[in-house]
Amino acid sequence: MATLEIKNLHARVAEEDGEQILRGVDLEVKSGEIHALMGPNGSGKSTTSKIIAGHPAYEVTDGEILLHLEDDDFGDLEIPDDVRTWNLLELEPNERAALGIFLGFQYPAEIEGVTMTNFLRTALNAKIDEREELLFGEDDEEEEEEAGYDTSPMEGNVDDGEVGVAEFQKLLKEKMELLDMDEKFMQRYLNAGFSGGEKKQNEVLQAAILEPSIAVLDEIDSGLDIDRLQDVSKGINALRDEQGTGILQITHYQRILEYVEPDHVHIMLDGKVVKSGDASLASELEDKGYDWVREEVYEAA
Amino acid sequence: MSAQLPANLSAETVREISDARDEPEWLLEARLEALEALDELELPDVIQTPGRRWTNLEALDFESLVDPLNQADETTRESPEGVVVLPFTEALSEYGDLIEERFGSVVDPESNYLTALSAALFTTGTFIYVPEGVDAEDVKIRAEMNSRSLFSHTLVVTEESSSVTILEAIESGDSVDDARYFSNLVEIDAGENSYVQYGSLQNLDEETYTYSLKRADADTYSTVNWIEGNLGSRLTRSDVETELNGEASETKIVGAFFGHDDQHLDVNARVWHKAENTTADLVTRGVLDDEARSVYEGVQDVGRDAWSTNSYQRENTLMLSDQSEADASPKLIINNHDTEASHAASVGQVDAEDLFYMVSRSIPEEQARNMLVEGFFVPVLEEIAVDEFRDDLEELIAARLR
Repeated sequence: MATLEIKNLHARVAEEDGEQILRGVDLEVKSGEIHALMGPNGSGKSTTSKIIAGHPAYEVTDGEILLHLEDDDFGDLEIPDDVRTWNLLELEPNERAALGIFLGFQYPAEIEGVTMTNFLRTALNAKIDEREELLFGEDDEEEEEEAGYDTSPMEGNVDDGEVGVAEFQKLLKEKMELLDMDEKFMQRYLNAGFSGGEKKQNEVLQAAILEPSIAVLDEIDSGLDIDRLQDVSKGINALRDEQGTGILQITHYQRILEYVEPDHVHIMLDGKVVKSGDASLASELEDKGYDWVREEVYEAA
Repeated sequence: MSAQLPANLSAETVREISDARDEPEWLLEARLEALEALDELELPDVIQTPGRRWTNLEALDFESLVDPLNQADETTRESPEGVVVLPFTEALSEYGDLIEERFGSVVDPESNYLTALSAALFTTGTFIYVPEGVDAEDVKIRAEMNSRSLFSHTLVVTEESSSVTILEAIESGDSVDDARYFSNLVEIDAGENSYVQYGSLQNLDEETYTYSLKRADADTYSTVNWIEGNLGSRLTRSDVETELNGEASETKIVGAFFGHDDQHLDVNARVWHKAENTTADLVTRGVLDDEARSVYEGVQDVGRDAWSTNSYQRENTLMLSDQSEADASPKLIINNHDTEASHAASVGQVDAEDLFYMVSRSIPEEQARNMLVEGFFVPVLEEIAVDEFRDDLEELIAARLR
């Protein structure tokens, strides 16, 4: 079981006189749990998610983000004792992803010329390689360098990586069925021309393929019609139920929480988590609004 | 200002080239005329903005670059059934009359100093003839340049309702220490309702200066599609042009370039709409790394009589380094109000959010960047009809990235 532990996280926009956005965030998400992170616009929810993933636009000024792994987190792969706790802030974004952090984007990039199949198979193989490198040290057989030649933008490098084309196609098809996604997406360019809903479905699909320990989903529910919301919710629940993924779901709306029931609800205000509770907190919030939280918090202070 | 005539260039030289190839009198005369015109001709126009010329052709030292009597190349030609694909010289005995009639009819040898030089001195090139109604796929011409200078002239003639797809690739053979010069003129005379795709892949070594002018005359209902790939050379000046002379004729000019180190690539696409219902689509995608520099000019000229014209132009340059430089000048000249047209050019870097998206999915940054660059070229790759050309271009792009 993996645990994502955020301690006293302070961060600002990484430019001269960049605005301070996070002012001491504390959060803990374990595998298999579903957390909802709510809060008004500008409270720092999205920034928190981007910093977990390692977005270069932000600079952490204080605090830390730790990932604690346990023996069974990577299936049969034995994790040596001395590499079970990682300081994410010291890792590159791709290394964080390799250790099981996933960020579902609020606005996923549209990438022309790179097919879904190529992208996801490349990502899966890169994850497997990088994870081994992090856990067991550098690969001696520098085989990656040669790989460049046989590549194609449509299929990716045919011979490269642990997971071959045929095996990957099968995996992808399985996961797409689960999400009720049309197979035609496989050969389409990554998010290019996808509707808002299709992009969000695609984020959940990618999580299903990469099997993260912790998935941070940034407003995965925005802009979804009711059918798509149900598909996406089904996908999120499957991540938790079938892969044991811990979910940190950032949302403005109670609506998705009816389909993806959170174990914990946290409310952010002005760059801090100010209140936590169970699912009932979300309904209370829906009734009373953020002013109620604000009053409660600042009165107590 | 015209360039200095190399001292080793004389009527004698031209006669020697022509005699050695046992050419007909008319061709010798054409060469001599071109030679004579050199005195009067200017180098091709280059764009000038205050304080600088975008490409400095004047700096080329033709005296040392041009070595007319020692030209050498090794060229292989593959042709499918039904189409004539011959070395230019060999074609003269059987197709002399046709060649005499069409030679220089699309590319005027006296267009500029460099075309005249090429017409006077060319020793290699290909004659491609597609008879009426013949469909020919995958004509492949692969040339290797083995001398200090090489001048090539290619003539493509397609008869009514024929079609052909062509790949022409040029690279360097024996390595020569000094600078080299490669000149390539290509003329396409596209007959009524015929289809031509002419793909060209230039991957010469980076000591070579290249001048290339490719021009098509598109007859009624014909389509001429160009694919122009430039990866090699120290400096390239490439012009790809179509005159849409026939009603309802169409053209696409698709370009890809990828410069690195201190390469200078000056690529140009031009179309003249001269008849009704004509369509043009100009698409160029280029990538620059290190200190490479690109210059692009695109021209869509819609004539007075070109009613109901559709004309589109896009050029995008992606910079991988802060030291690279790109200039672009898309031009749209409209003399007819019944026209649907657009033109745009952009210069930018790899999108940081795209990159972060990919990296957040475990893909290492450099690999992600490479995928984005390869993806950037896909719209060009998708246009290519000759599989081998697409594979080669893809491979060269992949190799340059790694």
